[in-house]
Amino acid sequence: MNVDVAIIGSGPAGLAASIELAESGLSVVILDEYYRPGGRLLGQRYEDPKAPETEREWDGMKLALELVEQARKRQVEIRCGVTVWSVSPGWKIELGGADEKTVHAKAVLLATGAAERALPMPGWTLPGVVSVGAAQTFTNLHHVAIGKSVMVVGVDPLAISVALEMKHAGVNVVGVAMAPRSPMTEKLSSPSHALSQLAKAADLAPNPLLRLMGRLAGGRLGKMAVHALRWPLLQIEGIPVDIRKAVARIEGEESVEAVILQSVSANGVPTGREERVEVDAVCLSAGLYPLIELAQVAGCSLVQVPELGGVVPLYGSDLSTTADGLYVAGNITGIEGAKVAMAQGKLAAVSIAQAMGKSPTLPKEEAIQAVKRARALSPIRFLPDVEQGLAKMERLWREAWLSKEGDEAWRM
Amino acid sequence: MAANFRLPVAESSEKREQIAFTFNGQQVMGYEGEPIAVALWACGIKTIRSCGATAQPRGVYCGIGHCYECRAQVDGVANVRTCMTPLSRGTSVSSSSDWHIEGA
Repeated sequence: MNVDVAIIGSGPAGLAASIELAESGLSVVILDEYYRPGGRLLGQRYEDPKAPETEREWDGMKLALELVEQARKRQVEIRCGVTVWSVSPGWKIELGGADEKTVHAKAVLLATGAAERALPMPGWTLPGVVSVGAAQTFTNLHHVAIGKSVMVVGVDPLAISVALEMKHAGVNVVGVAMAPRSPMTEKLSSPSHALSQLAKAADLAPNPLLRLMGRLAGGRLGKMAVHALRWPLLQIEGIPVDIRKAVARIEGEESVEAVILQSVSANGVPTGREERVEVDAVCLSAGLYPLIELAQVAGCSLVQVPELGGVVPLYGSDLSTTADGLYVAGNITGIEGAKVAMAQGKLAAVSIAQAMGKSPTLPKEEAIQAVKRARALSPIRFLPDVEQGLAKMERLWREAWLSKEGDEAWRM
Repeated sequence: MAANFRLPVAESSEKREQIAFTFNGQQVMGYEGEPIAVALWACGIKTIRSCGATAQPRGVYCGIGHCYECRAQVDGVANVRTCMTPLSRGTSVSSSSDWHIEGA
C-alpha cells in the first residue's frame, strides 16, 4: 500500500492528526495494534462536580468515537489489530498480523503513546495483580470489576485517579498504599517524594482532578510534604490513601488472597509492623514511559529527559525529529494528558502538510500556541516538571542543529 | 455458580446478548467483540495459563499487549494475547504450553 502519511497509533494524537492531514488533501492510514481505535481515550472517564458545566465530564470513549467518525468521513483508513515492527527511512513500514505486510509512505507520524513501568514485588505474578492502566480499561471500557476488594499500590496522580474511577463504578477500593522499598523501586517507595510530587501536581491549576484531591485532603497536601508527613492517612472520597504504609508483598495460592502492609518511615524504610488485608485484586502503579522503540528503529536521535518521562525522541517545536519525514506527537514526546496529545497531533499534521507543499487549515504558529493552551487546561497532570523538560528539549534541539552545521552525517 | 465481575453499569445500559465460547473445554459466556481476557475475567477466570518453568499460575497483567502474560491458544493458534483479541461465538481458548508453537 502507498499513502502520503502513515500514522502509528490511533489514540488522541493519531486521530487528531489524521483529520487535519486529510483536510489538507493528503491520503492517510492509521495503524494500531489494539483491536479497536481510540487508544487510552477509550478507558478515560472522570468527573469534576465543581467544574463549569461544560467541562464537568471527560468522556474519552465518546470523544474517541467522534474522532474516529470524523477521520473516516475524510477517507482516513484505520487498520486495527496490526503490529508495526519496523519503520525504515524511505518510508517503509512493516506489519505483523496483517495480510498486507508493508506500507510505503512519504511521511510517518509516530503517535505510539506510553506504556506502564513495571512494579515487581513479591507475589506480583499472581493472577489478580494488574497494572493500574489495565484496571482503568477493565473498569471504564469493559465495565468489569478488577476485584471485589481492591488494593492500589503506588501513590501518584494516575493511581489515585484510577482508584477514584473504580470506586465511582462501584468497586470496593480498600486503599492506596506505597510501593515497597527495593532496588527496583527507588524513589517510588519514598512517601516524602511521592507526596512532594503529588503536592506539586495538585498546586498546578487548573487541574480539576488534582484540585479535587487537594480539596478532599483538606488542602493539606502541600503542608504534609513540608511537615514530614504528620498526617499519614489521607481520605480521598472515602478511599484511604496510606502514605506511611507500603505493600510489602502479595499473598495467595492460585490468585490474590491478601496483601501484607508494613509501616514505613518518611523515606520508605520499613519500620517492622505488618498487617494482613484480605483482597482479591491488586493494581500496581509505577508511572508511564514513552513508547519509543519505533523511533529507535527508524533511526532518529533520542535524548534522556526525565521530566518528560524518560528517553524520548529529539524533536523540534513543530514536532519534527532528526529523521527527515518522521514526526512525533502524543505521549511519545513526554507523558501528558489527552488534550495535549490531540493538540500535538494537529500540530504535527500541520508541519507535515506544510513540508509536503500543502496548505494546512491553520498556521503552524497557531497550532503551537494551541498545544500550550491545551497544556494549561489539562484536567490531569502526570509529571510535575513538564515545562522544565520542554525547555531542556528546546535547548537540546538547538544544540543539535548548531553542531550539525556542515555535518552531513546528521541524518545518520 | 460462577463468579460475576460485571459492573452494574454494564447490566443496565447494555442489553447485549451473551455468546458461548470455551475455555479448556468448559463452556463460558461473554460478549461478542470484547477481549477474550475480559470475558474470562468477568466470569471469574483469572488464571489463563501456567508458567512453563515454574508451573505457577499466570493471567492478565498489563491489558495492552505488552507483557504477554495472558497468552493462550485461541482456535488452534498458540501464543495469542487474549487481552487484545476480540471474542467471537464459539471461540475455543486453551491454556497453551509455553514451549509448543503450532505449525513451527
